Order: sequence, then structure tokens, then C-alpha cells
Amino acid sequence: MAELSDKAREEFFSEAQEIIETLSRNLLSLDASVKGGSSDPSLINEAFRAVHTLKGLAGLFGAVRLGALSHRLEDVLDDLRLGRIELNQHVLDVLFGAVEAYNRILQAEKANSDEELDVEQLFVDLERIGAGAEVLASPVADYELDPGLLAVLTEYEEHRLRANIDLQMQLYRLRVQFDLATIDKALEEIKERAKRHGEIITYLPTGEATSADTIELDLLMASRDDLSTLVGSLGADNVIIEEIPRRARRSAGPGTLPPHGPQVLGRADSALQHDIERGGLEQAASLRSLTQTVRVDIRKLDHLMNIVGELAIVRSAFGRVAEKLRGEGQRKLAAELQRLHRNFDRRLGEMQDGILEVRMVPLGQVFDRLARVVRQISREVGKEIRLVITGAETEIDKLIVEELSDPLMHMIRNAIDHGIESGQRRVEVGKPLAGTIALNAFQKGNHVMIEVEDDGRGIDLSGLTEKAITLGKLTRSEAQEMSRDDVLALIFLPGLSTREQADDVSGRGVGMDIVKTNISKLGGVIDVHSETGIGTKMTITLPITLAIVSALLIQAGKHTLAIPLSSVSEAIAFDEAAVRLVDGREVITLRGQTLPLCRLDRLLSLEASLEFNSRRRFVVVAALGQRRLGLVVDFLYGQEDIVIKPLGKSLAGVRGFAGATELGDQRVGLVLDAAGLIEEVLAGVEAPRALERRLG
Amino acid sequence: MASLTQSTASRLARRIGDRGPVREFLMFSLTGELYGVELTRIKEILSPPPITTVPRAPREVIGVCSVRGLLVTVLDLRRKLNLEERPLTRRARILLGAAESGEVIGLLVDEVRHVVRLQATEIEAAASALGGDISEFVLGIGRPSGEFLILLDLPSIVSG
Repeated sequence: MAELSDKAREEFFSEAQEIIETLSRNLLSLDASVKGGSSDPSLINEAFRAVHTLKGLAGLFGAVRLGALSHRLEDVLDDLRLGRIELNQHVLDVLFGAVEAYNRILQAEKANSDEELDVEQLFVDLERIGAGAEVLASPVADYELDPGLLAVLTEYEEHRLRANIDLQMQLYRLRVQFDLATIDKALEEIKERAKRHGEIITYLPTGEATSADTIELDLLMASRDDLSTLVGSLGADNVIIEEIPRRARRSAGPGTLPPHGPQVLGRADSALQHDIERGGLEQAASLRSLTQTVRVDIRKLDHLMNIVGELAIVRSAFGRVAEKLRGEGQRKLAAELQRLHRNFDRRLGEMQDGILEVRMVPLGQVFDRLARVVRQISREVGKEIRLVITGAETEIDKLIVEELSDPLMHMIRNAIDHGIESGQRRVEVGKPLAGTIALNAFQKGNHVMIEVEDDGRGIDLSGLTEKAITLGKLTRSEAQEMSRDDVLALIFLPGLSTREQADDVSGRGVGMDIVKTNISKLGGVIDVHSETGIGTKMTITLPITLAIVSALLIQAGKHTLAIPLSSVSEAIAFDEAAVRLVDGREVITLRGQTLPLCRLDRLLSLEASLEFNSRRRFVVVAALGQRRLGLVVDFLYGQEDIVIKPLGKSLAGVRGFAGATELGDQRVGLVLDAAGLIEEVLAGVEAPRALERRLG
Repeated sequence: MASLTQSTASRLARRIGDRGPVREFLMFSLTGELYGVELTRIKEILSPPPITTVPRAPREVIGVCSVRGLLVTVLDLRRKLNLEERPLTRRARILLGAAESGEVIGLLVDEVRHVVRLQATEIEAAASALGGDISEFVLGIGRPSGEFLILLDLPSIVSG
């Protein structure tokens, strides 16, 4: 790629990515409409425009591979648009292939790698589809019409264009400067005069004008008369008339297909260059229209968030000074400072919300990608799948969205491969032929829940147990002691898959343990529900944002620790006398339910603090998904908004902490990883202890 | 800073004559011994801020602290080098350096002395003379004005 500033590059990539995602969405809608037996021409037009913009962008940024692919794709979409080729599943497959290729090319460009990307087959496929078009070829392609102009033709205008070409009319372009004040009248006038020679088919602003109160239009005109006659009749100072030349016919039939990819590429490149020169004006116009939005590197938002975090520390200091003044009898000053403090507090809160809002993106971004995966896999394995998405508008932190796509893809692959039965089997058991996968997202308090639900056969519990026994993960007698939920939780163990044979789609059962690890890295948990013969539902619970977190500050031994509030359900006073021992574990009863306890100071071997030794202690109930754990702590300080900073690499192996945060007064407090602690402590309660030992 | 040091070094080298390039080491004391690390590796010298211990951390990690909003992992060089631990005095300092991973590492030392300049020929490759277990961290031995100075290789300390 040409030398560019990093900023321009970033913008180019994110814009290209957005366009590719739009294209992908269009193709998915097209896919749905083709399955329904129709195809919406406006969708094809939209796809065409997306690719056209991408081509222009690629040209501006010298991304040759991107441009070459766009150029080929544009031709095919153009053929589709003009009805020269029929839209069918095969064509859609190739188009989806192009989306994948775009993504790969973009990755390679990002990494600045010149690595060979295996896109030759795609080029051949695109060429072949395009070649098939010659049979139905419309003469529209014989003219060097600006694709940008073609892209905006209404159906009627397109019909008139074809009709005129069929009548052997010559096409002309009239570039006319109009006075903004009188354009309506002037345009009617010129149309009227043109009628003597032929017909004005369409007009389009060029985006270029000599002054603020004029506008320049390109008029597309069909006429039987030659150029000099038209110039004589219609010509004026503000009118330039040009004949639109016919172009050389495109290669016809597979016989003339270039034998190898590089040649295709070479040809595409030179044509691309040509197109970009012509499309320059239009490009400038469309770039201008984007100025309402600003792309921001998320690291800059992190930086702002850090500053907000530091301001929050200043705010706390204000509070302390106000208290001190009050203690010293300076009531008036104290009240004044208190008022400022409250005001500052409110504004800071607004600022924080504002920054958080900017980081939020709809989950639809990742869902669109998944819809593509569903389509691809269902075609690969020959199962018909209906994907139902709800809550795509649910918003979540941009960083979380990025990390979600892989886990969700694994889950969906599993659902299609292991969950949904073959069509024949489904009909036999009285289910609809098409399997349904539901992808639901919704917000629940400080969390976003994402459900992946299928109406397949459900998880085979005995098969799962057998497999775990065969792999030596547990003994037969242990298996007999296990509850239904324990057995279901086995799918998260490394190396477990209920299929005997490894396959292309879900691989060798490496999926679910990785899914679980990735989700917990985001501070989330995953729960599984399954009914034999009815289906499986996986629920992911995630925090809304990673940037700033409301946390409960507590004291345990000599440590002041923070627990993210999102994983705290309540805090109660601790009564040593209420503790019972069940199976060697300390528990208390909270509103009729058993709550396992964990004494933080013991678990983490914290040094005891004399100051808190004799005081009354507390239980902080940490809850994630279905699981709850009571953390016994020495003191509760209250709630605080904190910025979590990750621990350095040399502490990467330390379990139980999500990071550290500044507490004010120069001290650093560790942030507990509630999900990790629950996992660590409850692993021994939920499953037999022997199992825990073996899994380490 | 790197370029400044280099130009100083080359000026010195010219003055002294052609006896190899000059390297600058920050000299500090640890349990009564003298050590040196290459000056260009040190970003900053700090009076120790409050350090928060990290439960379950490796033995040589004292804890974490915040330096103007930056989270720093503080290592105890004495534990890293298997030295006897003595209580810290008010002369204790933290040397800030960066690991290859980008993590900012603080090294707790008893006392910072001064900067010494050593020519390549003045550095003995005598790591094997020291106990085997710390030899991987040692660049060599320097003897400026009769003192015995163990020169440490900061990158291998902070990345191990």
C-alpha cells in the first residue's frame, strides 16, 4: 500500500470494513429474498453501490488487491442489476466468497503483508458468472456509461434507456450549469427543446459547480441526431454536449477466459485506474457527506476514561477536604465546598456516561457476521437452518463485541453440527424440516445477556459421560454421583465432543472450553441448558463495558480490595454462629437457600489486620449467572467508580484478580475477579472433589 | 536521552583514546554489595510509593504501585538474586525500566550511588566466577577505582 499516515490508514480500514459489512448484510437479505422466490432489485443496487464506493476508496488509498476484486465484483453486480444474469444460490455463494476474500485482503493490508492470497478461484468464478451473462447481454453495456450514473437509475429510467438503445439511438451527455433560483423552469425548458431530437432519460448532479448559487447537472440523452445537430439546437454557454462512446465488447464465452489469475488481475488493474479517474468527482461528493461522523481510535477513549478515573480521585479528595473543614468548625466553607463537590460529581458522571456511550456499539455488528457463518455452514453440511435474531440493537462495549465473534461462532457451529438433526431425522420425529437457531440479546441491569438456542436433539448426557470416562476425566462411580447440571458442565472440559468423528465444521471438540475461557476473560459467564429431543440453550452473561466499573470497596486482612458491583448481588452482616459445615464446606442459609462461603483472607492467605480483628464482619454475595458465593470480608467501605488497569505480564499467572485500580491517597487496590473466584471455589462444590483434583 | 548518552560516550571515547566504546552504568547497593545496570535501561529513579502486595504472586514480586497513573510491577532484586533480606532504609529507591512486553517494572534497591563510565576493556566477563544461579543475569564485572561492581543485565532480569 502507498505511504499514508497511520490515521488515514485507520480510517480507510474502518470505512472499508463498514462497507464490507453493509455488503454482507445486503447479500444476506438477498439470500433470504431469493429463498422466498423473488429478488429485490434495490438490494442489488445497494450492493453495487457499496462495491463501487469500495473500489473508489481502494483507488484513493492504492490498495490494489481490494480494487481489483471490487472491479470484478462490480461487473458481476452490474450484470445482475441489469438482469443479464440470474441471481441464484450459486451466484450468491460466489458473492459471499467475495465478502470472505475482502476480509482476508483487508487483514493482509492491515498487516502490511504482501502474502499471496488464494483468491484466484474466486476470480475465475466471478469471471465465469460474468461470462454467462453474454448470452443475455443487454446492449447497455456497450456504452461507456458512468457506473455511478447507472447505479441511480430508477426502473423506469433504466427501461427507457434500454428501449432507446434497442431503437439504435445514440447516447449523449449534456453537462449543464443551472442557476439555483431558476433550475426548475430551465430544466423543463431544456427537456422540452430536447424532445425534438429524442429524449432526456435521466439527470444527476455532478457535485461540481462554479459558484454557490449554481448547480451542474449531467443529463443523459438519447437521440437519433448527430452531435453537431444537437450542439446547434441545444448548445449554449452553459451547456456542453458530448457523445457517449460505445465500448469494445467484453470477452465472450468461456473460450476466451484468461487461463491464469495474474492476467485477470493485470487487466482489472488498468481498467480500475481508468474508472477511478472518471469516478473522482463523485467520490469527492460522497466523502463530503460523511463528515457528520468521526472515527476514533478506542485507545483514545481509554485515555479519556483514565483521565475521568483520575478526576474521580480528585473528587474524592474534595470530599475529604470538605469533611476536614467541617471537623475544624469551618461550617460555611465546608458547605460551600460540599456544594462544589456535588456539582463536580454530577458533571463528572455525565462526562463518564458520555464517553461510555461513544464506546457502545450494537451487537448487530457481530450478529451480521454470524448470519453469514450460519448460511455457509448450513450449505456445507446440507442442513436447512432458519436463523432468528432478536435484540441486535442491544449495545455493548466495542472491545467486548470484537472478542465475542469467535466464541459465538464456535457455539453456532456446534449448534448446527451437533444440535440440529438431519432433515430426514427431523421429519421423522415430527419437527419442521428447517432447524431453528435463535440468537437473542437483551440488557439486564448492568449486564448484557446473549442466548444461542437451537431446537435440535439436545445434549446427549450419557454419551457425554461415557466420553468423559473414556478420556479419563472421571470414573464411573463419580459419574453416577453427578447431577444433571454437573454432567452438562462437562462440555466445557477440554477435548470433549459428543461426535465420534472429527469433522470440518466443529473440529475435534476444542470449541466449548475455549469459548468458556474467552467469555470469562471478558468478565462473563456461560450457562448451558438442554432438554433431550427439544433443544439446547447457551446463555452468556457479560458486563456492558470494560472501561469503567462500579465497584464495592472492601477490606480483607490488610488489603483494600475492589469487587465489581456487576457481580455483587448483596452484602449482609456476617454471623459466625450461623455457619454450618456441609460436606466439609462452610455454608450459611440465606432466605431459605444454601450459600457457600469463602473466607477471602484464608483463600488468598492475606495477612490479618489488627484494626479489623475484633470488628463485625460482612458477607458479600457474589453472583454470576446461576452461581452464588458468599465472600467473608472484614469491612465494607462502599461503592466507587473505578478504572481497572490490567496487571503486568509478570503477574499473568496470578489467579483471582482482574487488575488493579487507584484508590486515591497514592495507594493501589487490587480488583477481585469475581467470576474467577466463583469458578475456583465452587468447582469443588459442584463436581465431586476427585474430579476437581484431576482437572487441576 | 539515548542519543545524548551516546554523544557523551563518543566524546569521552575520543578524549581517552581508542580503547573501545564507553558504557555508563548506574551504581547501586544491595545487601552491602555494589551492582550496576546500564544507564540507558533506566527510565526513572523513584522514592518508593506505597506498594500493594499481590497475594499469590511469584516470590520476587513485591507488589504493584502507581506512578502517575501507570501501574508498575515492583520486583525485589534481593529475592531475584537470592540475597539476604534486610529492612529497607529511607535511602531505598525504585529503578523503573521497561520489559520487552511493554510492562513497566520497578526494581527495589537499597541505595543509589552514582554513575560510572566503563570502557569495554574494563568489563570482565566473569559471570562464571559467581554462583551459577545468578550468572544468567550478569553482564560482567567492573572495577572502577578499585571497587568491585557486579554489572546486571536488566532485560534478562525483567523478562525472567
